[in-house]
Amino acid sequence: MLKVCHLYPDLLNLYGDRGNVLAFTRRCSWRHIPVQVYQANLGDKIDFENFDFLFIGGGSDREQTLLAADLSRQVDSLKRAIEDGLVVLAICGGYQLLGQYYQMPDGRKIPGLGILDLHTHSGSKRLIGNVAVEIELAGKKIKVTGFENHGGKTFLNGVAPLGQVLSGNGNNGTDHQEGARYKNAFCSYLHGPLLPKNPALTDHMISLALERKGMDSTIVPLDDSFEEEANGKMLERLGVRR
Amino acid sequence: MRWIMVLLALWTARAAQRLSLTLGKGKGSSLPGMVALKIYPGILRWFAGQSRLGTVMVTGTNGKTTTNNMLAQIINSSGYKVLVNSEGANLITGVTTAFIRSANLWGKLDCDYAVLEVDEAAFPTVAARVHPDTVVVTNFFRDQLDRYGELDTTVGMVAQALNNLNGTKLVLNADDPLVAQLEQKSGLKAQYYGLDPGSETTHVGAETREAKFCPLCGALLNYKAYNYSQLGDFKCHGCGFERPQPHFRAHSMRQTGDLFQGEIDWQTRNFGLKIPARGVYNFYNALAAVSTAITFNVDPDTAAHALVSYAPAVGRMDRFDYQGKPVLLNLVKNPTGFNQALAALLNQDTLQDVLVAINDNAADGRDISWLWDVDFEVLEENQPRFNNFICTGKRAAEMAVRLKYAGVPAEKISIHNNTERAIDAAVSGGGKMTFLLATYTALWPVEAILAKKAKRVEGDAESMPSVS
Ligand SMILES: [Zn+2]
Repeated sequence: MLKVCHLYPDLLNLYGDRGNVLAFTRRCSWRHIPVQVYQANLGDKIDFENFDFLFIGGGSDREQTLLAADLSRQVDSLKRAIEDGLVVLAICGGYQLLGQYYQMPDGRKIPGLGILDLHTHSGSKRLIGNVAVEIELAGKKIKVTGFENHGGKTFLNGVAPLGQVLSGNGNNGTDHQEGARYKNAFCSYLHGPLLPKNPALTDHMISLALERKGMDSTIVPLDDSFEEEANGKMLERLGVRR
Repeated sequence: MRWIMVLLALWTARAAQRLSLTLGKGKGSSLPGMVALKIYPGILRWFAGQSRLGTVMVTGTNGKTTTNNMLAQIINSSGYKVLVNSEGANLITGVTTAFIRSANLWGKLDCDYAVLEVDEAAFPTVAARVHPDTVVVTNFFRDQLDRYGELDTTVGMVAQALNNLNGTKLVLNADDPLVAQLEQKSGLKAQYYGLDPGSETTHVGAETREAKFCPLCGALLNYKAYNYSQLGDFKCHGCGFERPQPHFRAHSMRQTGDLFQGEIDWQTRNFGLKIPARGVYNFYNALAAVSTAITFNVDPDTAAHALVSYAPAVGRMDRFDYQGKPVLLNLVKNPTGFNQALAALLNQDTLQDVLVAINDNAADGRDISWLWDVDFEVLEENQPRFNNFICTGKRAAEMAVRLKYAGVPAEKISIHNNTERAIDAAVSGGGKMTFLLATYTALWPVEAILAKKAKRVEGDAESMPSVS
């Protein structure tokens, strides 16, 4: 049984992010891998090490602040779990939160959870639009697509990017990097939502979760023709070769 | 001098309109206004000042067209002369065009009330020029996020614009915390309308709920009950902000066939309100319209009676006949509106073919991730009612992915990139009925093709909720 933790679905439900949880669980069910979703809410005590997949979405500033305060109470458990190889997907605000700090226009620094070595500066204009990114999963290069909409610009210090920007802005619009990857934690600015449209990434995360649990991590292929068409159409529009 | 400018602007605008009609370009609902405003920006103020009894502006995310038309119908049937902007022409150019069309050659209007539907984003500029006597606000939902920025920005702009007005009366939805806060934020006096949550109205909408936080202090809001989305009986334990006691309180709602009815308490009176439409969404619009009319001293029974025969605006929900098969066309533009359209699908007991046309042009919203906030999951357990889902538009494949992850069997989903072929597949499918759902820029091409293949059925479009 894979246990999925959807962090604060009531708070962080901007831009269809729940589609990521849906994709993860559906693709498990279609393969008859038992899966269960636990919706964590503000104030809940979460034992992160007990989960197999954690999803953190994005919210507006107000929601983000509440979330940060609540998560910082249990940051040790989360940190231990990530070090132990917990599979995590953090999108947009959730991504920024895992870093060291978020710097406001007036120079004030709002501390993040400090789990990943990266930081974010508030930018003067929002980075909005369709994005294509090339990422490498288990030695294989794939092209993922999504939609970014963020005011913050993120800079990586001691962590690797999730991938290289082929079209769009990515982390900050300057260094062509998108997202971050640390052990089994995947961070990205791509809404889209990311997982349904990029099944290879979803399956890779499912496989990692199975492996960490000591279960058979071979993944039965599924018919992904709709997903491939959606992805391919967007790559084509962005002028990126499939 | 001012009058000369008005006449110059008016006559040029009229000439431009005739020209555009001869050239067959567009519907001409914004061009005359655009031309007139270029020549004399003060023309809107000049016109608005002429309505004898008052100018009303209706704004909000969903329901503004319907509320506005219902209000116009009520006031009209009470014997007043009403000026109204045509459906959807709700930016400053469309509003100005409405006045230009009603004015005589000398720029004079003959109207008691001007009743204007205004887009939320255009609200500040229009309000500053029109100086409305009354403003009606229906609700605030996520809509085209990437164009307007986050919802807070839109609501903040409307609040600021109201704050700049003097003596304007507000008619507000008590059940929407984002709307109900406007009395405090603007310093204007408000009359509230609201629906008591009951079993008939309560709707599962937790997935796309908007205001989970108090708009005044930021604490989490507590709800005793929801009507739908974030509309319900709310209270903030942080600052005490709560659903205001509605002056117009609707209760005992029920659906009987194609009629939706309820009771309304106002002061010491009680009267019934009955509308030929399904669902609580339209009832909200009717309640807003009736409440506003009563603040103009229209008799409650007269107001309610005027809506018994209300025919919804065309274009939002069109009914066609394809070789004896009913075909319904509806606009979908945000999660709440799409959920309402799905509710209408589930209301039908016959086998249906469904076409969904999704575009991502600027007017649709370039980010289509909102499709994941629509509760398509309700389709999974109702599969026997659906024959096929046909996806078309620029983001057809993405729509197919959404349906697949909602639990619709892949063999019932198909992608047709050619709109005409998609429509053919939908109307000639094995179902007894066809629904066509399209985003803003996909709606007109779909309608144009459909109109060539099927016969339009006039005046019988009320069985689907009109959601805009
Ligand atoms: Zn409060």
